[in-house]
Amino acid sequence: MTNAPNAITAENLRIGYGRHTIVADLDLTLPGGRVTAIVGPNACGKSTLLRGLARLIAPAAGTVAIDGDDVHRMSARALARRLGLLPQQPVAPEGISVEALVRLGRYPHQRALRPWSAADSAAVETALVRTGTAALRDLPVDHLSGGQRQRAWIALALAQDTPLLLLDEPTTFLDLRHQLDVLDLVSELNATADRTVVMVLHDLGQAARYADHLVVMRDGAPAAVGPPADVLTAELVEDVFGVPCRVVPDPETGTPLVVPRASARHRRP
Amino acid sequence: MSETRPESDVEPADAAAERTKPHRRPSPIGSRPLARPRTSPAALAPNTARSGHATAPVHRVSAIARQRRRVALLALAGLALLAAAMLAGICLGENDLSPARALNALFFGTGDRGDVLLVGRFRTPRVLSAVIAGAGLAVAGAVLQRVARNPLASPDVVGITGGASLGATAAVALGLAAPLTPVAALGGGLCAATVLGLLAVQIDGSQAAPRLKGGISPTRLVLVGLAVQAGLTAAVNLFIVRFPAELASSALHWTTGSLYGRNWNETIIGAVTMTAALTAAFALHRRAAVLDLGDDAAGALGVRPGPARLQLLAVAVVLASLAVALTGPVGFVALAVPHLVHRLAGPPTPGTLALNALAGALLLLTADLVAQHALPLDGLPVGVVTATLGAPFLLALMARQNRPDPRTAR
Repeated sequence: MTNAPNAITAENLRIGYGRHTIVADLDLTLPGGRVTAIVGPNACGKSTLLRGLARLIAPAAGTVAIDGDDVHRMSARALARRLGLLPQQPVAPEGISVEALVRLGRYPHQRALRPWSAADSAAVETALVRTGTAALRDLPVDHLSGGQRQRAWIALALAQDTPLLLLDEPTTFLDLRHQLDVLDLVSELNATADRTVVMVLHDLGQAARYADHLVVMRDGAPAAVGPPADVLTAELVEDVFGVPCRVVPDPETGTPLVVPRASARHRRP
Repeated sequence: MSETRPESDVEPADAAAERTKPHRRPSPIGSRPLARPRTSPAALAPNTARSGHATAPVHRVSAIARQRRRVALLALAGLALLAAAMLAGICLGENDLSPARALNALFFGTGDRGDVLLVGRFRTPRVLSAVIAGAGLAVAGAVLQRVARNPLASPDVVGITGGASLGATAAVALGLAAPLTPVAALGGGLCAATVLGLLAVQIDGSQAAPRLKGGISPTRLVLVGLAVQAGLTAAVNLFIVRFPAELASSALHWTTGSLYGRNWNETIIGAVTMTAALTAAFALHRRAAVLDLGDDAAGALGVRPGPARLQLLAVAVVLASLAVALTGPVGFVALAVPHLVHRLAGPPTPGTLALNALAGALLLLTADLVAQHALPLDGLPVGVVTATLGAPFLLALMARQNRPDPRTAR
């Protein structure tokens, strides 16, 4: 599995802000061509890890490599042609239209004297169509609903056309319908284009359903790594999240479903 | 939902969700008047929603194309007005000339020798200086407001023009030759910007999350800039108070911003250097657009936010300093023009940057014409006119800012 292209590997990675270390001495390989979900309690370093993998924070120590190529030796632009990242709650510039936003995804592919090519146009059109935002293209991003806005940003990341895509909490603040839309889109992208997808999620059931590979983080270190069916046990969830629970098979998919134990007051007689 | 579901499934689900909101009801197919606001829900019309192909409907005029056309029209109008104002600039004066006489004197050097001298030696450099400085100030303001993500950021607010004034005043105080005054102004502006940069970075460094290598946070930039500007203004005032009377009036005249007595040498040097700086501003435009998405999104697209912000800042500083070197610190242009252009032409594109240059040139030139000819006072520096316009504008801007943002109040 790790031999598939576009795997991302962290070795001895230590990341922090100033003297405050968030992620310490992490060794982690995220398999190529698969969907990986990173889960964990709040402030466990999920987003920091994602930002570190995308080189948005310089690590205090260690390396991050894509298929063995050290990301810190690539130019910013070269990295941006291999790896895209959708930040948590991005804010679009005032008044910018969906199409203009998505066009910015082509930045790493453009050169100084060749401003806009047919390939750029094609990538933007594909991204708009695949995310279902083609009909919204002329609307200002700040007039869209939360779900539409999130899809517009995913379209930007798609236009960037990278084999590796990192998504930081892509479903936060979306209602269930739009959460599922985003997750379906993500797994479709993975299935049709063989993209490696790494996303931070909060819902363990969704993570188990949509991810091939699960990383459970606790205090800046992985507490468990592997296929959701192996990793997600009642002991682990209680251990990491402090929530007593049962893990039952999802009646729809058979993937693990975490059901918190009811307090005595709510228990059925 | 399977992973292989067709594209068309995505859209109707959402369109249906949209239709439940009464104010977003799609309009009938094909009815899409251009005059509708850009927020028009017509884009959600079922026909476009279902045709999820890579080829867009032929009749569609995209928002991007519409904005381009708008910018082109505005640019044409601006160019026409600028040409008219420039013509007025070389015709009007103590001896009013007819346009034919003035143009003849300028381009062919024929006719009355007095005309040739008047137009060629005095009026044309003044007009061109106004155009160059106005363009530079407006573009500097546009770049600065964008980088600082603050609509009140402008070279006059963050200390760049203050530094330039101090440089020029110091030159006058030291008794340097008059041609060196603009050079000193340029040096002062650059020094102020360096101080500003160092202070902003150092204050940043004391925080829990230091951003080294030029990572300046936009808010700090403006706050530190305000302090720098205040200090520099105090220093300029100190110079003027301590000066002998005749020097003081000369320095004071310079620090209000004036186009009086520009000569060809200054104008040509200004034109060449300003063209270079403007070219740099346009070359950096795409980087600025990516930076607008926020630091993380920009970083993911291959733009390192710290260095990119520094580059943009440097260009803005050079533009503003060159303008100030030519005219003195003319206020209001750098602050107001970007707002006006944004209102008229929409979100920033290379086209709107060019409009900024055009509008800045037009505003400064018009203000100078007004100062010279339309007011009963003689010899009023152009800076007084722009500052008089600027104060109410600034207040109106703040009043508008205090209103709740429609984006957050959703």
